[in-house]
Amino acid sequence: MRVGSALLELARGANARSIFVVGIGRDVGKTTALRAIYDAAYDADTSIGLASCGIASSRKPRLWLKPRTVFVTARDALPRTPAAEIVRLSPLRTAGSTLLYARVVAAGQYELAGPPTASGVRKVVDDLGELSELAIIDGAVDRVAALAGADGAIVVACGAAAAKTMSEAVDEVTSLVARLSVAPFDPREPSIQFDGALTASSAAALIAARESRQIVVCDPTQIALSGKAASRALAQLRVRCRRPLRVIAATIASMAPDRSFEPRAFARAVADATGLPTFDVYASTRAA
Amino acid sequence: MKTGDLLDAATALVIGFEWLDKAVAPVSPYGERAFSQLLPFHAGEEAAARERAQQIAVAAAALNAERLDAIRAALSQLPDAAGAVARASMGDLLDDPEFLELQRFCTTVERVESLLAPWTHREPLANEGVHAVAAALAPGSRNQLGFYLADAFDGELKRARERLERARAELDSARGRERQRAAHELRRDEITGDEFVVMRDDVAGALPAGIRVLRESPTYRLCALEYGEASLAALERRDAAAALAGEAEERVRARLGEIVRERAAALDDAAAAIGSLDVTLAAARFAQRYRCVPATIDTERSLAFSRARFLPLEADLEAAGRRFVPLDLELYDTAVLTGPNMGGKSVCLQTCGFVALCAAFGLPVPAASARTSLFDQIAWLGLGREAQAGGLLSSFAREVLDLKAILARKAPRLLILADEFARTTTPHEGRALLVALLARLRERGACGMAATHLAGIPEAAAVRHFAVRGLRDIPAQPSRPDVADALSALAGAMDYTIAEVRGDEEPRADAIALTALLGMDEAFVAAAYHSLAP
Repeated sequence: MRVGSALLELARGANARSIFVVGIGRDVGKTTALRAIYDAAYDADTSIGLASCGIASSRKPRLWLKPRTVFVTARDALPRTPAAEIVRLSPLRTAGSTLLYARVVAAGQYELAGPPTASGVRKVVDDLGELSELAIIDGAVDRVAALAGADGAIVVACGAAAAKTMSEAVDEVTSLVARLSVAPFDPREPSIQFDGALTASSAAALIAARESRQIVVCDPTQIALSGKAASRALAQLRVRCRRPLRVIAATIASMAPDRSFEPRAFARAVADATGLPTFDVYASTRAA
Repeated sequence: MKTGDLLDAATALVIGFEWLDKAVAPVSPYGERAFSQLLPFHAGEEAAARERAQQIAVAAAALNAERLDAIRAALSQLPDAAGAVARASMGDLLDDPEFLELQRFCTTVERVESLLAPWTHREPLANEGVHAVAAALAPGSRNQLGFYLADAFDGELKRARERLERARAELDSARGRERQRAAHELRRDEITGDEFVVMRDDVAGALPAGIRVLRESPTYRLCALEYGEASLAALERRDAAAALAGEAEERVRARLGEIVRERAAALDDAAAAIGSLDVTLAAARFAQRYRCVPATIDTERSLAFSRARFLPLEADLEAAGRRFVPLDLELYDTAVLTGPNMGGKSVCLQTCGFVALCAAFGLPVPAASARTSLFDQIAWLGLGREAQAGGLLSSFAREVLDLKAILARKAPRLLILADEFARTTTPHEGRALLVALLARLRERGACGMAATHLAGIPEAAAVRHFAVRGLRDIPAQPSRPDVADALSALAGAMDYTIAEVRGDEEPRADAIALTALLGMDEAFVAAAYHSLAP
């Protein structure tokens, strides 16, 4: 099967005009998943916009991009050759450089970049929406708030590099998916509105008080809990959000430099725990 | 704008310098640079101040608001190409974002030039350098906002890219055949990525030729597809063609950079002109929006205006649905201003400062007409400087130190605006101190106005006396105890006109009326009137 096409179909089914690929850690196959979606969209003649948003100092992906692809890069990182069409200069900055939007004329290796701030990410998503039919963003988890309440979809990448055991990796991705999938709040029911983040200590206090009202945060990234603590808190509290996100699929990378998990079992475990369509981008398979 | 030594920080705050600075701010990086260096004119520069105000007024008359806004919108999108010009002038190779900045700079200058057509008798903005660079970069223009080092720049570039395209197609084809073969042998639909997993269950025995194992686990192998002979040869040809195309691109950049280098001085001139224009047009829009006129700049010390307005307050009042009452005044020495609470004494002083400030920067002033000299120092003393207070000093001590600092500067042309100076000491001593201040200002030949509630100052200091006319009648108390309603009633009853008083001042009881209007109980107000009775 072609994983990129399957992910693209899921995004289209959700009427998404942008896809954020986020991961549970580094080297978990985020860029590979993004690449697969990009290739499938390109072959389907969809005009594509690409960016990488997150911490300014983090490593930025370099991808082989094909003609007509719009991408965001740091001005300093734009290669002199092959020359790309500069579509727009942006006042937004990444580490040490302003950003620009360019369109590939001749295929080549290009570095993706994006702003580190949530408002900057929102602007980039909007701009790519104007310049392309589909925006695909390699994103940090804490920046997906830019998609909250909008027509974006999220693909979660999970891999052996981010956990010592398969069970830990599955717990991590399950907790992340549970957080990102928090349901919208019901205004007809009683609620406690949280302006900031729901932290471990505030969640513990609410559980101790046997709070049964809806605990409402702005968006799922305001749930500052991870791992099993997050899963337990979300099981015991009615956490809701004002601006929901849409997680449409998970991908796995079963191999890491110092460990590997059995790929079929890993994919199946992730699919069972998250309830999401789960794909192995390297093996070109979907969890049975 | 820089205040230089015209104002101290507290005076700047009280007379609205920050408001003015925002109201006349330019929109382009070139304008911002020119604006940040703008200093007030001083005595001896009357002709230059007059000329600047006239130029602004001419621009405001020649260009209607819609056209001015269109020009300013174009200027606000202007990228800063100064760095690119500087690099080119040093002989550095420019990059494509810099060509985009230069192209947008040149085309915007040309566009602004055409929008400025109704404003005749001015220096042209665009020069030969701007036109030459715009023409040289035109083949790279993409939808006005973008730039591409297009084939149209150079025939050799076009041919090099065509060769590269053919070499790339050959490589893709050779590589595609290898992928297809490997996918077939692995019994897969296709191989897409550089790395892929092969399950041991799926392939019994050895892997097909050309597939290299990167890493293994008991159940699967992570593999990569090696380049075959045909692909390697095609890869070499593609790399060679890419290198030639890259060289052709650099040659075009070098040639374009040379055109920019040769015109660097002309581009710098255009940048300076556009910076200056941006500053002028910001002031022209200000003059249009607030109905400002050039003041007559006098070499003799004076400050006179008719129907002048203190714009920061006028803006606040308009936002609240109220109206600013314009003021008339003629000041050529020192004078005293009296009037009721909330009658506008402080606003009169602020209006004096604001008009003098606008004139000092060569800006049209918000009045029907005005005449002023260029002051070397505008100083505010008394109420309103509280933000600077604090520490161990009392407000009176702070006021005395402020006065000492103002007088120590010995500015030849001083405009001093004193709002209830010495109000915090005994009325007896406060009166003596204020008389002494007015005598000192007269000795210094300063222009100034002192607002006070203390009686008998003009006669004691032998200076002119102005007064706010005050309440026409006692306004009716609002039906509900609401401060906003009380202020509206007060505004309706107050005559803010300032008139010169000759002879004795008639005692008034406007403060007690105001106390009643603001809701103090009747017994309290009656007791106050009773105490006032002789």
